Amino acid sequence: MRWGMVIDLKRCIGCYGCQLACKAEHGTPPGVFFARVLKQEDGQYPTVRQLSLPVLCNHCEDAPCVAACPTGASFKWEDGIVDIDPDLCVGCRACMMACPYTNRYFNDQPQHYFPQGMTPYEEARTDRHQQNIVMKCNFCRDRVRAGKPPACVANCPTIARTFGDLDDPVSEVSMLIKERGGFTLHPELGTGPSVFYLPP
Amino acid sequence: MNMFDSRQFQATAADDVWLPSSCALCYGTCSILAHRVDGVVVKIEGNPDSAVGKGRLCGKGVSGIMTHYDPNRLRHPMRRTNPKKGLNEDPGWKRISWDEALDEIAEVLRKVRADDPRKLVVQRTTTVTSSRVPFHAFASAFGTPNFSVSGGGQHCGNGAHLISGIMHASWSIVPDFDHCNYSIFFGASKGHSAGHASCSNMGKAADARARGMKMVVVDPLCNFAAAKATEWVPLRVGTDAALALGMCNVMVNDLGIYDGPYLQAKTNAPYLIGPDKLYVRHPESKKPLVWDTASNCARPFDEVPAAAMALEGEFQANGVACRPSFHCLREHLKKFTPEWAEQVSGIAAATVRRLATEFATEARIGSTIVVEGVALPYRPVAAIAFRGSQGHRNSVYNFYAVDLLNHLVGAADVVGGCLGFNPTSHGHPETGKVRYAPTADPDGLMVVGSWMGYHYPYPPSEPRLPRNLGLQDLFVIGMTSPFLDSTDREEMWKKFDIPYRPEVMVNFGANLVMSIANKDAVAASLSNYKFIVSFDLFLTETSNFVDIILPDCGYLQSLDSRSNFPFIFSLPAGMGEWCWPIRQPALPPDGDQRQFAEVLLELADRIGFRADLNASYNAWLDLQPPYRLVGDTSYSYDDICDRELKNNFGAERGLDWFKENGVIKWKKKPQEVYWRPFTDVRVPIYWEFLKPIGDKIAAIAEPRGLKIPLEYYDPLPDFLPCRSHCCEKAGFDFYGFYYRDIVHTNSFTMENPWLDEAARLDPFSYTIAMNRSEAGKRGLTDGQRVVVESETGRKVDGRLKLTEGIHPEGLGFAAMCGHWTDGQPIAKGKGVFYNDLLELDWEHASPVNINLDLCVKVRVTAAERAP
Repeated sequence: MRWGMVIDLKRCIGCYGCQLACKAEHGTPPGVFFARVLKQEDGQYPTVRQLSLPVLCNHCEDAPCVAACPTGASFKWEDGIVDIDPDLCVGCRACMMACPYTNRYFNDQPQHYFPQGMTPYEEARTDRHQQNIVMKCNFCRDRVRAGKPPACVANCPTIARTFGDLDDPVSEVSMLIKERGGFTLHPELGTGPSVFYLPP
Repeated sequence: MNMFDSRQFQATAADDVWLPSSCALCYGTCSILAHRVDGVVVKIEGNPDSAVGKGRLCGKGVSGIMTHYDPNRLRHPMRRTNPKKGLNEDPGWKRISWDEALDEIAEVLRKVRADDPRKLVVQRTTTVTSSRVPFHAFASAFGTPNFSVSGGGQHCGNGAHLISGIMHASWSIVPDFDHCNYSIFFGASKGHSAGHASCSNMGKAADARARGMKMVVVDPLCNFAAAKATEWVPLRVGTDAALALGMCNVMVNDLGIYDGPYLQAKTNAPYLIGPDKLYVRHPESKKPLVWDTASNCARPFDEVPAAAMALEGEFQANGVACRPSFHCLREHLKKFTPEWAEQVSGIAAATVRRLATEFATEARIGSTIVVEGVALPYRPVAAIAFRGSQGHRNSVYNFYAVDLLNHLVGAADVVGGCLGFNPTSHGHPETGKVRYAPTADPDGLMVVGSWMGYHYPYPPSEPRLPRNLGLQDLFVIGMTSPFLDSTDREEMWKKFDIPYRPEVMVNFGANLVMSIANKDAVAASLSNYKFIVSFDLFLTETSNFVDIILPDCGYLQSLDSRSNFPFIFSLPAGMGEWCWPIRQPALPPDGDQRQFAEVLLELADRIGFRADLNASYNAWLDLQPPYRLVGDTSYSYDDICDRELKNNFGAERGLDWFKENGVIKWKKKPQEVYWRPFTDVRVPIYWEFLKPIGDKIAAIAEPRGLKIPLEYYDPLPDFLPCRSHCCEKAGFDFYGFYYRDIVHTNSFTMENPWLDEAARLDPFSYTIAMNRSEAGKRGLTDGQRVVVESETGRKVDGRLKLTEGIHPEGLGFAAMCGHWTDGQPIAKGKGVFYNDLLELDWEHASPVNINLDLCVKVRVTAAERAP
């Protein structure tokens, strides 16, 4: 069993729905994103393309962050999800240095968006993140264990995201990767990401 | 595609519920599920049971929690203490009770109603679509014809919605994403950003791209739709008609490709046109004549089989030389050569020819397809347009020219073609409601079956000496009007002897100071009102002109029996389900907040016109016995909503049923979705009605000193330049334009901190897009702060974003940012206030549909010092 995600760049329109659905699911503080959308431009006028690239933790098979963590806070579940035990994290940020994808965040910003303080919503979500530790995407592991897809997958208006078992050769994610030429980011690093992209 | 159903949530605590309701972060009103735990909404997701959004939400939709819980929300009615009104005048707000507020408002309104009810202007935002009935019912019952939707319409719809109505009986047009193979988007982002049925369309458009639909996007900026296009065709801002007309010419005159049988049966192409450019009519019945090729004579259109109607030829009828309108069109198009189109639009002549050839060939004229057992015409091509191409002085001809592409090949409301949003509904299978369909007027031309605007798009009313402040009773093609606030409004009102002036405004949620044009023009207009009351969520820039401000409930605290207008507005087109969602409160009001609809009812009671308001509601909602409102009974808004739902869906499906279920839905039939072959109506490829309207308007206006440029009223479309195209001032070498951002709605959402954060991370949301090479020539660099100056000396400033994805002459601005009010601290100072560059007067409005011209020729210079 190895959870993985496939993001179809042909379907994605870069609407930020994933980034904001993630924020709404987890109530992450300002500046902390478990999911983001990067924008890039290729070519020269008028032969130019605007590309949107949604990114999140790659849940690497050989995760450099896990290896770099001195306390064992960063670890891998048996289902392939890379996670952080907040009680073990001491905030040394070695994992952030080790992650080649810069998808980890150190939570040292204010914990509320409005200067006036926390909203009732933020208060209801505040127990989900401790200050001065590292945070990141865990494929919405609580949702997944409850039989629901990660929030970004459930919400994507273009249905660009698919979630499933990479170890199952006939799962939808495996078939998409095979049939559509799925690729990972920076394969040359040998980290074995579990997030795959389909070409635009 | 996903293995899970996102609604598998179980209640575990005393208060742990998922309530089906509707979003209101934009006018798309996607269906939502609000998750409330212990009195706090902790999540908003799309409702998978509804076709409106299909269980998915855009970034704005999922972020609504932060708009709701914004500590800057208004919580109490307030009265200004500073009588002086101005952009920089602090109103000196003082908290008052609802009783005080309503007493004062009722007294003002009672007096003005007794004096002249037309002195009241009722003004609302387009964002909350459900506000339409309560406010229009209130305005009608009160007795004022003066209602407005701020910048709405003047920016987005006087062309797009009008012409979608005339040609497709709907508010907007989209490709039939399920079957279209070749689409051309002219300044439109349908399926790739905001707007009508936005989330549903995003999914459908993604399916279409995955299926292989070719998408050509004609746009000065390579962003939302263009970023996903098979081909991006950059053009000079505001010249869309040049490309469309060039393509029409190539199709008809070079390739000889057009759908003759469609033109004969479904348009006015065979109607004979005399030397006066008007129909040649039967002397007695007055019906338009066609040339019957079987009997070789002119006969009324409804007495001749379509196949026998001549589309071309020189004939004599009623003693005058005449030609079918298609013949006139074909001749008219000849001047729009691809080389001419290149000169105007900057698009290479070879590209114009190629696009025309691809479009015409892929139309597969004559082909049919079977959908759910029904054989239907199949034309898998669509040309669509929206805000970008229609937001100009030449709004009408731009949109008309683009839509001609569809009608020439018969790709209108058939499988694969250009679809209106649900113009035909057979109604709910059990009650037969809500049922509507286009019908034919005496000339055989299409009249919409359902409409939400000011007047039906066709047939137009008779122009008359205007009595409305917006002059729409003179400029009868226009829907919303700039003349309520324009700098020449007083001059116009004097010219036409308008016997009254606006004195009181009831505003709902619109930020007029930012959403129409330059702030000084609107501020001057607002300063003239004796009394303004405004329902708002936040203080806005417009609040500085308000006398009493009323704290509205947000969408998570509100009830509406119809969260949108059925079904031509935001239910996705194409096969699928009819879907009627409601909005219901997940949370109580905070402080003294009250929902506007209830307040309007109470005001009617206090003023003493509840009986009129009840009658008005009966009409607006088409309530039938036993659900009609009676006499002056003080119904609650809940009660009215309950009656509307029972009226439409049966006694057992009132408010309680809808609160439980959220939405009622039933299957669409192919005969509804692809209605054109089943409905005996024609649409005009030759706008014969325009010429007499122009002549009548000129007859009224010109003796009063207002010259009407009649070239805008010719029955056939042309390219007419915007003011910006005529600017020859040295150094003014960019066409400024604005576009709708994907994370923002108008000027509303910049205060939402999640959306603000996303916009700050986006390269374009808060910057000014300029072509990289052009910037280099001027020594300007990425991120540099610049001043953008209009020909008339208006200035805005902002930071440059250099890009390869913009036409060299274009300068792109996202959304309507640049707030300065302290009432919205998150929004304050973010992005650029493009509208401040816009003039607001007759010279910058379309002389035919009074659409505002939204492009401005500008000069860009480096700012002296970063502030």
